Amino acid sequence: MSAAKALDGLAGFAVRRVIGAVVTLLAISVIIYVVFYVAPGDVAQITCGPRCSPAQVQQVAGQLHLDDPLHLRYWHFLQGILAGQDFSTGTSVQHCDAPCLGLSYQSDQQVTQLILAKLPVTFSLVLGAMTLWLLIGVGTGVLSVWRRGRITERVLTGVTLAGTATPVFVIGLVLMIVVCGQLQWLPFPQYVPFAEDPEQWAWNLLLPWLSLALIEAARYARLTRSSMLETLAEDHVRTFRAYGVGERSIVGRHALRGAVAPVVALAANDFGGSMGGAVLTETMFGLPGIGRELVHAVNVVDLPVVVGMVLVIGFFVVVANAVADVLFAVADRRVVLS
Amino acid sequence: MRHSPPSRRARSARRTAAWSVSLIVAAGAAACGPEDNDAKPGGSDAAPHKGGTLTVLNSDPQQDFDPARLYTSGGGNVPSLVFRTLTTRNRENGAEGAKVVPDLATDTGRPNKDATVWTYTLKEGLKYEDGSAITSADIKYGIERSFAAELSGGAPYLRDWLIGGADYQGPYKDKGKGLDSIETPDERTIVFHLDKPEGEFPYLATQTQFAPVPRAKDTGTEYEEHPVSSGPYKVAENQNDGERLVLERNTYWSAATDAERKAYPDRIDVRSGIDPSVINQRLSASQGADAAAVTTDTNLGPAELAKVTGDKELASRVGTGHFGYTNYIAFNPKVKPFDDPKVRQAIAYAVDRTSVINAAGGSALAEPATTYLPNQKSFGYTPYDHFPAGASGDPAKAKELLKQAGYENGLTVTLTHSNAQDFETGPEIATALQDALKKAGITVKLQGLEDNDYSDTVHDAKTEPGFFLAHWGADWPSGGPFLAPIFDGRQIVEDGANFNTGFLNDKSVNDEIDAINKLTDLDEAAKRWGALDKKIGERALTVPLFHPVYKRLYGKDIRNVVISDWTGVLDISQVAVE
Amino acid sequence: MSEPFVALGAAEAGTDVVLAPASGARQFWRRLRAQRAALLAAGVIALLVLVALAAPLLTAIEGQDPTTYHPRLVDSASGGVPVGAFGGMGADHWLGVEPQTGRDLFARLVYGARVSLGVALSATLLQVLIGVVVGVAAALGGRWADQVLSRATDVIIAMPLMIMALALLAIVPGGFPRPVLVAAIIGLVAWGSIAKIVRAHALTLKELDHVAAARLSGWGPWRVARRELLPALAAPVITYAALLFPLNITTEAALSFLGVGVKPPTPSWGQMLTQADVWYQAAPQYLLLPAGALFVTVLALTVLGDGVRTALDPRAASRLRVGTGRRREAKA
Repeated sequence: MSAAKALDGLAGFAVRRVIGAVVTLLAISVIIYVVFYVAPGDVAQITCGPRCSPAQVQQVAGQLHLDDPLHLRYWHFLQGILAGQDFSTGTSVQHCDAPCLGLSYQSDQQVTQLILAKLPVTFSLVLGAMTLWLLIGVGTGVLSVWRRGRITERVLTGVTLAGTATPVFVIGLVLMIVVCGQLQWLPFPQYVPFAEDPEQWAWNLLLPWLSLALIEAARYARLTRSSMLETLAEDHVRTFRAYGVGERSIVGRHALRGAVAPVVALAANDFGGSMGGAVLTETMFGLPGIGRELVHAVNVVDLPVVVGMVLVIGFFVVVANAVADVLFAVADRRVVLS
Repeated sequence: MRHSPPSRRARSARRTAAWSVSLIVAAGAAACGPEDNDAKPGGSDAAPHKGGTLTVLNSDPQQDFDPARLYTSGGGNVPSLVFRTLTTRNRENGAEGAKVVPDLATDTGRPNKDATVWTYTLKEGLKYEDGSAITSADIKYGIERSFAAELSGGAPYLRDWLIGGADYQGPYKDKGKGLDSIETPDERTIVFHLDKPEGEFPYLATQTQFAPVPRAKDTGTEYEEHPVSSGPYKVAENQNDGERLVLERNTYWSAATDAERKAYPDRIDVRSGIDPSVINQRLSASQGADAAAVTTDTNLGPAELAKVTGDKELASRVGTGHFGYTNYIAFNPKVKPFDDPKVRQAIAYAVDRTSVINAAGGSALAEPATTYLPNQKSFGYTPYDHFPAGASGDPAKAKELLKQAGYENGLTVTLTHSNAQDFETGPEIATALQDALKKAGITVKLQGLEDNDYSDTVHDAKTEPGFFLAHWGADWPSGGPFLAPIFDGRQIVEDGANFNTGFLNDKSVNDEIDAINKLTDLDEAAKRWGALDKKIGERALTVPLFHPVYKRLYGKDIRNVVISDWTGVLDISQVAVE
Repeated sequence: MSEPFVALGAAEAGTDVVLAPASGARQFWRRLRAQRAALLAAGVIALLVLVALAAPLLTAIEGQDPTTYHPRLVDSASGGVPVGAFGGMGADHWLGVEPQTGRDLFARLVYGARVSLGVALSATLLQVLIGVVVGVAAALGGRWADQVLSRATDVIIAMPLMIMALALLAIVPGGFPRPVLVAAIIGLVAWGSIAKIVRAHALTLKELDHVAAARLSGWGPWRVARRELLPALAAPVITYAALLFPLNITTEAALSFLGVGVKPPTPSWGQMLTQADVWYQAAPQYLLLPAGALFVTVLALTVLGDGVRTALDPRAASRLRVGTGRRREAKA
């Protein structure tokens, strides 16, 4: 395959992925619009308050454009993304710049700003936990290959397996009660922005990171171990051995190299998944991120917030999957070439 | 209703809720209800210390911080630190605290002869956080803007009581047209014209809609980010739509004009969005800043209570209070077989209140109810038990009534409840009832609805089920806002949210409600509400189940704990930090 | 959609895109039997299934049922802690009673097994069914059908399951049986990855000589799928399903935890955990029992899944297996 052709292929691949991603996201937004249109829960009544009169509910419905037909509301939503939107605060008219995801029904906040405010929390949680589980997972995997067949391997595989079998909300709560409440080693998690105090940021998030990492590390340990064993079984490794290359170097360098691509690809894929799964962790630890806000928005039928946040999560899932795909393609080529 | 966030584990947080989260957040809690006499925890010893930072750990963010949008009982807890109102609740322990007292005004209001015109005079020297003077026109404007669709959310009374209120759409429409039924003849006087007698107007004037808003500073829906303070504290920071609220002293507030708020701490740091169980864990650990922490929305749940009762130190840091609140079974007499009073009575006899109370958290967190009105003096509590079921039900009597009604072979009915976990209308209470009614030969099928669906269904005259769980909380501690929305035949709403779920439209009841509303002697009115409650109770349109008791932890360094019967929770304006 | 994803899914699932030599059922059983850990896990699962099926019998022997309240067995004043040592364990209540209600914990646990296993199994079957249909249809259908189906798969993958579940559970009428609904939602929302894997496998198979020959000889797509593709797809599908099953058990528990899963009085382990977690200190056995049951089940299923994978694809035997020691590795 010539370099030019490969590049061309890659460009074509990228363009197709981008178009695919846009179509996917549009489809998601349509589904959410329809689902929430059908869902019970009178938005105007919820926004207006329980004791509002029918006339007041009508006024609120009008002000939120809830009387418009579904397709028109969706069209306005698309317009907002491309061209921005004007809205009234009662005393003045404000402009919400493109890409404007609309205004929360419940709090009158711009959804775009709401998301920007919550995103750092979710990122902190997911990226931190991922770093930790990569360290623990890959470390365990390498160690279990290094000590394969010995008691260490059995203990390590057992522990990581036990991690997979425990739901995050059990681990999280028990850790929180024991570590924060009884032993008082760590503070009860409370989000401190990184910019404000990096040390407190990490200190507070350590427990959520650990809980997630304990659960996820197992899969990485298993993947690392299997990829390494596979490499070890390859001919060239046998050749190295024959030439007297030390076991430490073989495991640490050559075998580990074989595990890099699949592990990174799995991590990219999990990054997307964790964004969606943050709902559970954030609710569990009371971290004010996208996931928890989303559950709240669903409960109060706050459609603009739900659509906005699901799109953002979907965006990361799509991008992460694309990255994972590319990495796997790269990984495969390496296999073929070798 | 403005509903609260993540449905689960609101075990503690939710228990407070009357209708709206806003109300919850607002309503505080109070310790010491009637029976456990008094919270002296921490100490009423020496003069409380002034200064320091008070931390508030909450589950629900203060998303609404606009006085027009808040639905509070008595002006709320945190909001009351920033918003002064014409009148306010008396900041005293127990029953004394259920009284209404003057705040911005010099008295609780001067009615005309038939209580249709109410006149207030503002105290002298009242100032906003920027030093400018508070005028009666600002109070009028504050009320007017609460009519705008953009700022909806408050209680319905202004709309229902003020002349022209039903059609008024707020000052943002029609070039700032005002509401003519509020007059401000001079800067310190304000006069309200009502379309019918309302002796309880002074109670209404405690709500945040009666806080002054300077027209020039009004920014509509954005006002809540930094509302102009008239109280002892002003908003220094409002992050993420009320998730964190930092309040600092308003130097223009003068204690000389405010007899109610003590305002001991220099700074108040409200952090919300915390899981209820974490809040209670933190308060019990009471480390660092948490030692000077309280919560204004999270009660102790049963599991936590079990732990607290075994620990003397923790037990000394629990504030106990009673907020006027009733959980009950509601019937729709238009649906068979509940059209037959005998069937309703049979269910009333069959109820096992011990099981129900256990499901609601045990005898420390709920008291059995046989009256619709809460068991407090200010409501005019008049004990009665028309269908005595004892502690665990009287299935024999229930069977006998069913036989008379023609169901000697038993009966199968559907009980509708909310799926919200640990909420008073939730599955736990429903299953407890299901189990108890089985003994009386009544097979109960459960129909659980998701939260929003539940409130839509139950409060729509067209879809209302025959047999469901309901609850009602006090907008202020009196029989009026408790009985009128539920039993006044003229409040039946056919095409919107209806709360008269028993569709009672009885002239004698309606007339008595009108007669009591004319009374301006609130003690006399309370007695009459109590008597009316007893009379309505005979119809068995509801089966009262229990009144909740609020128990909340506070940190080691918290002093001067005051818990009134109005809010049932610790009053944040009285707290001092060691 | 690109192949690489499949490689990823496969890496996780432990199957290779490269097809394992079709191995007969007998060979499969022989290989499975050779693994002690997998056999032990299978035994545990068989026991669990037996307990779930025999729940009415077992509770009848105990003399209890999962829904009756025993208000006198809990201490109301202290929030409803069970009276007696170890949460009221004894001859009447083998595993004690639930706080607040006094319902029998043993009965709730064994009936809970029915719900947890039943929901997870139905959800898995549904996922496999949809995944196989979509995957095969995409592979065999025209370019256009492939585009549409692959895009639909992407949409499903990018949707957060919890959020869709929250919204969908609210739409369906309250009278609908909740366990069925939960299984349906998990099945309907989480079939994306299996569809991708099936499609990739099917595409590879399509190019094989005997399949191509069948197509050329005028067989319809349905017949090709049934006679040629499905048998060959069995191995990867079973392997992946074995991975999904324990995942679905945890998902059911998580949904209940968020308050949108199975509803009381129906007991499920997730439902029990939701209520039990705050009782960790006051009544630890209330939390430990369902948590332990969940743990053992998921663990056993995972180990069995590994065993199945090894038996189906001996070449991958050395790959993702756990705790199985050196012996087999040497063989591989």
